[in-house]
Order: sequence, then structure tokens, then C-alpha cells
Amino acid sequence: MKTYDESARIRTLRVVVFIIFGAIFLRLAWIQLIDSRYKEMARNNILRHVVQYPARGEVYDRNGEYLVQSIECYDFMVVYREIPGEGFDTVRICETLGISRERLERELASARMAPRAPRKILGFVSQQEKLQLDEFNLRGFYTVARTVRRYPRKVGGNLLGYVGEVTEDMLRRYPDYRAGDYIGVTGVESAYEDVLRGRKGLRIETRDVHGAPRGSYMDGAFDTLPETGSSIVCTIDARLQLFAEELMEGKVGAAVAIEPSTGEILMMVSSPTYDPDELVGRERGNNYMKMLNNKRRPLFNRAVRAKYPPGSTFKLVQGLIGLQEGVLKPTNMYPCHMGYHNGRVTVKCHAHGSPLNLYEAVATSCNAYFCYVFRNILDNPRYGNVKDGFDVWREYVESFGFGRNLDTDFIGEGDGYVPDRKFYDWRYRGSWNSQTVLSLSIGQGELGCTPLQMANLAAIIANRGYYYVPHIVRSVEGRDSLDARFRERHYTKVEPKYFDPIVEGMWRGVNVGGTSTLARLEGLDVCGKTGTAQNPHGDDHSTFLSFAPKDNPRIAISVYVENGGFGASTALPIASLLEEFYLTDTIQRQRLVDMVKSKNIYYPAYDK
Amino acid sequence: MTNERNSGIFGGIDFKCVGLYIALSVVGLMSICAATYDKESMSFFAMSNLYMKQAMWVGIAWLFAFVLMLSDSRYFHMLAYPAYAVGILLLLGTLFFGREVNGAKAWFEFGSLRVQPVEFAKIAIALAVARMMSENGFEINKPASLFKLAALILLPLGIIVAQNDTGSGIVLGSLIFVLYREGLNKWLCIPVLFVALLFVVSFIIAPTVLTLLLIFIFSLSEMMMNGEWRSRVVFLAAMFALSILIYIIQWAAGGKMLYYETLLIASGVGVAAAAIYAYRSNLRNIYLIVALYMASMLFLPMSQYFFDSILKPHQQNRILTFLGLQEDLKKTGYNVHQSKIAIGSGGFFGKGYLHGTQIQYDFVPEKHTDFIFCSIGEEWGFAGSAVVLVLLLLLIFRLMKMGDRYGEPFGRVYCYCVAAILLFHVLVNVGMTIGLMPVMGIPLPFISYGGSSFVAFTILLFVAINLDASTRRLELGR
Repeated sequence: MKTYDESARIRTLRVVVFIIFGAIFLRLAWIQLIDSRYKEMARNNILRHVVQYPARGEVYDRNGEYLVQSIECYDFMVVYREIPGEGFDTVRICETLGISRERLERELASARMAPRAPRKILGFVSQQEKLQLDEFNLRGFYTVARTVRRYPRKVGGNLLGYVGEVTEDMLRRYPDYRAGDYIGVTGVESAYEDVLRGRKGLRIETRDVHGAPRGSYMDGAFDTLPETGSSIVCTIDARLQLFAEELMEGKVGAAVAIEPSTGEILMMVSSPTYDPDELVGRERGNNYMKMLNNKRRPLFNRAVRAKYPPGSTFKLVQGLIGLQEGVLKPTNMYPCHMGYHNGRVTVKCHAHGSPLNLYEAVATSCNAYFCYVFRNILDNPRYGNVKDGFDVWREYVESFGFGRNLDTDFIGEGDGYVPDRKFYDWRYRGSWNSQTVLSLSIGQGELGCTPLQMANLAAIIANRGYYYVPHIVRSVEGRDSLDARFRERHYTKVEPKYFDPIVEGMWRGVNVGGTSTLARLEGLDVCGKTGTAQNPHGDDHSTFLSFAPKDNPRIAISVYVENGGFGASTALPIASLLEEFYLTDTIQRQRLVDMVKSKNIYYPAYDK
Repeated sequence: MTNERNSGIFGGIDFKCVGLYIALSVVGLMSICAATYDKESMSFFAMSNLYMKQAMWVGIAWLFAFVLMLSDSRYFHMLAYPAYAVGILLLLGTLFFGREVNGAKAWFEFGSLRVQPVEFAKIAIALAVARMMSENGFEINKPASLFKLAALILLPLGIIVAQNDTGSGIVLGSLIFVLYREGLNKWLCIPVLFVALLFVVSFIIAPTVLTLLLIFIFSLSEMMMNGEWRSRVVFLAAMFALSILIYIIQWAAGGKMLYYETLLIASGVGVAAAAIYAYRSNLRNIYLIVALYMASMLFLPMSQYFFDSILKPHQQNRILTFLGLQEDLKKTGYNVHQSKIAIGSGGFFGKGYLHGTQIQYDFVPEKHTDFIFCSIGEEWGFAGSAVVLVLLLLLIFRLMKMGDRYGEPFGRVYCYCVAAILLFHVLVNVGMTIGLMPVMGIPLPFISYGGSSFVAFTILLFVAINLDASTRRLELGR
């Protein structure tokens, strides 16, 4: 009955229906079977990676006492859109956390900008506060476990350094950090960051479109637990450190003590110091600003960064170089008539016997003697001219660790400064000689040393000619040994045999008669050398360099007090008391302690 | 010989069709359950669950289906025009008293019950179209008949578009499928489809280009219709020459050069010439082409206006997003993007019933209504989607077969109307979830959540089954 045309039309329509369904099938097959992007996007839709923060590694002193502890604390967080519409008890939150209502409202207002994102309202919530908050059972609010640093001994501010949240600048430099992570900013915290930080854990959760959690993904098959950071044993002796900080109070300067046989730093004080607990917790920002504004710059670690003229302590180096170069014999006598006089040049000295040999010159700290020694080194005919002689001298000085950083494990260690030939050529337009640079002979002039370098010099002399790179960490949990560079002897260019006369001179200065007799400790054979560095900006800097006992020394120490006057008047008592305390574990000279502690130096340059 | 089956009350019923219907409604219930299932809900069978509500509606719809299977088919023929009148009144009523949902004023609300009259109006329109086309003296290619039919379809379409329910309105455009089946000249169908396509994209084409395209399409289809092409080429060349002449006159007069106006004047002259030619050569169908052309030219400036003023910003954005002129995964493209993620992540076998992450965690908006296909695609994968699509394809083919089975035009046209409406719904609804079609808010038949739409589709289908059964009963009984 159907016409040909009609059947053709029916066929056409069937084809149309087939084409339409075919298009749908092809498209379905494409997005379901071939294009894998959608599977990835579906995972991204539902999965949230929740970071679990590890506890930071703890730090012990050399006797196993806590220097830094990690204490549990919490971040108080909010997800704005989960706050119930009828409101919540703000008063209770404010009272529990001790924050003002305005502050809470301000934080909530910023949380409102991204209502689904978790936002930190307050950090460093204590466990007790956290338990209270948990009792309130507030919807939309929760806590995240973190750790906070605590310092039971309250020592070593600049030494241990502090921990802060990573800044944007750091995030760019260290791609494996995320916003909100903590990072060591200075001191040990920074130097051993990779050891202390531990490893973050990750929990993969599924979330619905509103961001509400819907349980863990694949029953936690891909979750990882946080790994606590490794602990560190420091070379520091906490009690010695505390005592040193007490003695240095009221004075600006630095004190460093090293165990010569290992290079371990026993104590390192940069004064003024600060209570490390102040740079932790909620008040950190305010305290930090206060310290920044403090003219004495407590955040500046003088012990490793300051450049001080070493003064008379540097004579030891001159003597050693002279002996090695053969231009000086311990028995050589030089005259001193209240100083060194040569033409228009005069280097003053104080009253002592004349002429005198090397032992007496070291013991009494004679300026003139070392002017002769220095000029003999530079003007040694072997080197043709004074500039080549100067280069030789400089090489020796560098071998003692001056003018370069010692490559310790301390980040931000300063280089100090030893002028070179180029500098004097520039300064004196090429024409200079041993007399022009004579002030170097007594550790003055352009010379700059860090207190750490000076303590290292004490260790070199104590060891008779070598040092271990000073370091602050004794062992790291989970590591068999320290870095090889700390276990290697570094010899100076002066042979060990030439050290004996210098040591003898230092011993005499303390035990027989000289500038350091106050440092004498019965039965301990202290060796020492005072230094008084002239300072164009005020009173002389007081410094003392010492080690004890003379044989098999256990401690080498350098104390530097800005504007402290004579070496014997401020630096020496401090160093001596520290030696006494470290070697005998007691203090016999309580009156000396009181005298040092009561001494407050006035610093016009800082306190303006 | 007659047997029980053919002579009983269910005699002649196409049980394959009924089976497909039942299968689809079960699939629909299951996927609504998956899309709205809440693990924390107290009771699975609580009436507050959407799937329980839908189950109730399915029950009501089956009751309707049962009644329809029993009723006399002559009533449908008789009631076609009154039903159409009631439908138009209902549509007008929503325009004035309706409630606005998602920007479309297309709903009546009785308490908690919401009804979209357009779902029921489709039945009336299908019946009316069937009745008109089955009347004596109706000749599909006679302009007078065609104009009557066009009015019958365009009147409700206009009202629905005015309700701002453009998607449902465009569904009626699918009836061209039926007209083609009934012998409408294909050279009339093709330009109509083409013009419809042009209107969708008209606002990104310059008016001059659009006019040139229209002239070309209509001239070509007229050529194919009347089989004369030499004189038509001469006609086009003359129009071209005329345009150049007008252009030169403008240039000589030192005025501005206006391409579009030149083209308008030339085509106006062309239309007049064509009309005179049609009158003299007695080629009536040229009138149709000319009328279509004029209507298009009238609509042309309107389409821009239509886009700017009538379409709501969200609809404009949908079209712009679909055409790739705008990419915004947060706002307009969000639905489609999430729906593609849900379906695309299903893979071959899917994630398992009630285990679809995107559906269960609410990433797909309207996942139980317009985007119900996501639930199927994600949880049942390509295999499950294919089964559901094949069910729908079989149903459409079954309806076409039912239509073709007997020569009686009323039933045939009606069955084809139902097939066309279903086909369009499936194409647009499934197409939009997989990014083939722009987003139009129309449901997936028998599967999407919604009582009125499920009941309406059931009635639409069972009227067809009843008509088919009654003619079959007659034939078999004879």
C-alpha cells in the first residue's frame, strides 16, 4: 500500500534516529572510555590532602639536659560556612583563649572571604585550652596539632635560633615547604633544619561539594603518618652557657669556649642575649619588634659575626710566625722604653722591665717587642720586598683561621677581616712599608676577628698547632657520625715545636707575673693572654684569650667585652670564672662573681 | 481465528512497548534513588525521600496507563480539538497566574504539588496535529493546509517561549519530523532546519552574510522543488546585477556605501519578481518559499533582539558557552563540566550502584532532574548507559513501527508525534549532559524526577498504545 516515496521517507527517518543515537554513543564512548581527564578531575573533586604536622626534633646539651623541647600545642581553626546560623558563644571562646572579642570578630570576618577554606584563628593554643574548647563542642571550629618550642634553661637565644612560619620568599626558594609550615630561621634551628623538621604526614580524605569530610579515601591505604624530627645532642654545656650569660649581662660582647681536643663549642654567648621563649608563641611578633628596635641589637649574633680588633691577643700569632720564619728566637731580647720609637712612629707601651725576651714579652704583653717581630717578618730579606713579605705573613694568619669563615655548622658565620696587599695599595696609593702597617703587629688597625676565630686561636695554641673545625652539634639521632670535616685536624703553617715558647709565655703571664695573674687557678695551670684593643669610639675593648690546663687542655676560651677597658679588668675575670666553673664544677671566688655581675658598662654608642 | 489475547480487554496491546516503558520507569526510579539517597537518612522508606515520592507518582501513572488501555480510542479523535483548546488556555493561564521557577513562568502550584502544564499540552497538541492531518482535504504540500498546520503548532510554541520556557517550546519544533513522514517536500524541511540552525548562531554572523545565506538557501531549495534551474540562475544573476547597479548609483551620488541596504532593496525587488512569476506560472510552492524568506527576514533583526532582551542572562550564557564563545567553569559551564566529569569518570562498568562519588557528594547540580543521566553514566558506566539508551531507542523505533503498521492517518501521525517528542527529549537531555547540546531545561522521559512529567509522558505513550491496539483489534477481529 505504501508508495515508494513513503518507504524511502520511513527509511530516511530511521537513519536520522540512528545518526542521533550514534552521535550520543560516540560522544559517551569518548568521554567514558578514551578521555581520561574526567577521571582525574573527579578525583580532584572529592579528594582533600590533609597535612599532619610532625613534632620538631628536640635538642639536648652535652650532658643530656634539654636545651629545646617540643611541646604539644594546637592551632585553632575555623571553616566559616560550617558555623551554625544561630551563632555561637563568642564570650566563652574569648575567655578561654584570652583574646578580645574584636580580635575574634576580625578573624571571622577574614575567614568569611573564603568561607569553605579552613582558616587559622589563633596559634599556640595550649593543651588545656584545647580540652576546654573541645568540651564546648563548637561546630565549624576545630584544632590542628602542632608543636611549639620550649627552652627549659632559657639560654642560648642566638645560639639555638628560633623557628618561624615560612615566608613567601622562603616558599619560592624551598619548594618542598608549604604555607603554614615551620622552619628554623637562625642558629641551630636553621643549620640543622633538615634533621629537625621531620616529615609531614598526609591523610587523604574524601569531601563532598560543600567541603564536608566524608571519610578517608580507600580506607587510608595511601595515608602516611608524620615522622618526628630527629633529636640533636649539642656540644653546649647548658650550665656553663647559663653561667656565661649571667656573667656577660650588662656588657656587650661575646664569649666562646671550645674543647680543643675535639673542636666542640662548649659555650657561646653573644651579649646582650634574649630569652628564647620570647620568640615563641603569640607574643613573638611584638617581642621580635622590640628586639629589632633595641639599639644593642640582641638579635645580632656577635659571637660568630662581629668583627673585633683582636688587640694584644694577636701578638701570639706574630710570635708564632716569627719563630717559624726564623726571624725570632725565644731568647731574642728587644728593648722597650715605654713603647716602640722609630722616627715619627711611636707605639706606646706600659711599664715593665727592659730589655726582655719572648716569654716575658708574651707574659707582660709588650707592644714594642712585637713591633720588632712584625717588622722582621715583613722586612725579611728572603722575600725581596716588604709587600711579598706581607703576603707571606698574611698566608700564615689565614692558616690560623682568620680572615675567612671556619666552615663551622653555624649558618651566617662571619669572615672577619685581614687586610691584603691590594687593600694597602689602594689605601696608601702603592707606597707603604712595614712601618706603615705597624699597628697590625699588636692586633690593631684594619684587623677584624670574630670571637669564634679568637676562641679557635686559643684552641690552636692549646693543641700546639692544629684545630678541629669548631662545631655545635655532637651527634644527630639516627646518624652514625658527624660530618667528616669536624673530625679532621687542620694544621697551621707554624710547626708544633714553635708553640712551646708561646705557651710558656702565656703560662708565665698567669702563674709567674704578667698581665693575667688574676686568672690563676691553683693546680689548673691556666695559660692566658690579655688584650686591650684601642677603640676610636670610646673606651678600649677588653679581651682575654686562655686555655687550661697547660697540658692536655680541656677548655680554650675567648671573651670579648666591648668598651670593657683593660683585658684584665673585665674579660679576664669572666673567662677565669668560666674556666673554674667548667674545670672544677664549683665557684670558690664568689666575690669575683658578684663583682663581674654588678659591672654594667655604659655604652654611649648604643644607648643614645 | 481469534484468541483470548486479541479479543480481551488487553487485546491488540503492544506488550513489547509496555515492557520497554516499565523497564525505563524502573531504571528511572533506581537512578533517582541513587541520586537522592542519603546514607544518614533514618528510614529508607520514609515518604520524605524523593525516590519514594517518585515511586508514588509512578504508581499513579500506571493507574492512568491502565485506564487508558481500557478506554475507547474514538474518544481521542473526538477530544483532540477540545483538549487542544484546554491546553492553550492552561498555557495562557500559567503566563498570567503561573509560578516562576528557574526564570521560567511555566508552573502551576497547588500546595506542595507543582505541575508544568506544557507537559500535558504536548499531548493535546500531538492529538490536534494528528486530527488536523488526518482530516479529508488536508494536503501536506498545499500552502493553505500548511499554513493552518503551522498556526496550530506555532500558537502554543509562541506561548511557551513567552513563558520563558524556551527548551520546552523548541520541543514542538521536532514535529517537523512528523511532517516529513507525512510527505512534506524535503526541500521545505531542509531550509526550515537550516534556518533554525542559522537563528541559533545568527548573533555571531553579520546581517549581510546572513541575508546572503538566506537568499542562497531559499533559491536553492526552490530550484530543487520545481526542478528548473536555468531561469533561477538568470534570476540570481539579475539580482546580483541589480545590487551592483544600486551600489554604483550610491557611489555616483556620493553617498555612503551601504552593503546591507543594497542587499535588502535588491532582495525586495527579487521577492516581488518571484511572486509575479509564481502567479503567472501557477507554481504555488514559490509562495511558500517567499513567505518563509520574508518571515526569516522579519525574524532576522528580531533574533538579535530575542537574544538580548527575551533570553535571560543565564540562557544567553548557556548559548555562548555552548558555542564556545565563552568559557566559565565556575558559573555557566559548571553544570555541564561537573556532569561531564561524573559521566566521564564512570568508565566502562561504572563505579557501582550507590557508589558514584560525584553524584553521592553532590557535585552535579540538578542530578535527579535534568542531569539524571549523570547518575546512570557514573554508577553504571558506558555499559549501563548504553543499555538505557538502547531501551529508549527501541521505544522510539517501536512507536515509529506502530505508526507505520496501519494506514489510518490519525494513529500514524500521533505515534510519530510521540516518537519525535521522545527523540528530541533524549537528544537534548542526554546531549547536554555530555556536552553535545546547549543546556535546555527539559527532562529525560520516564527517568527524570518529576511527577507531572512522568504522568504526562505515560499518558502520551499510552494514548499511542491504545490507538495502535484498537486498530489492531479491528484488523485482527475482522
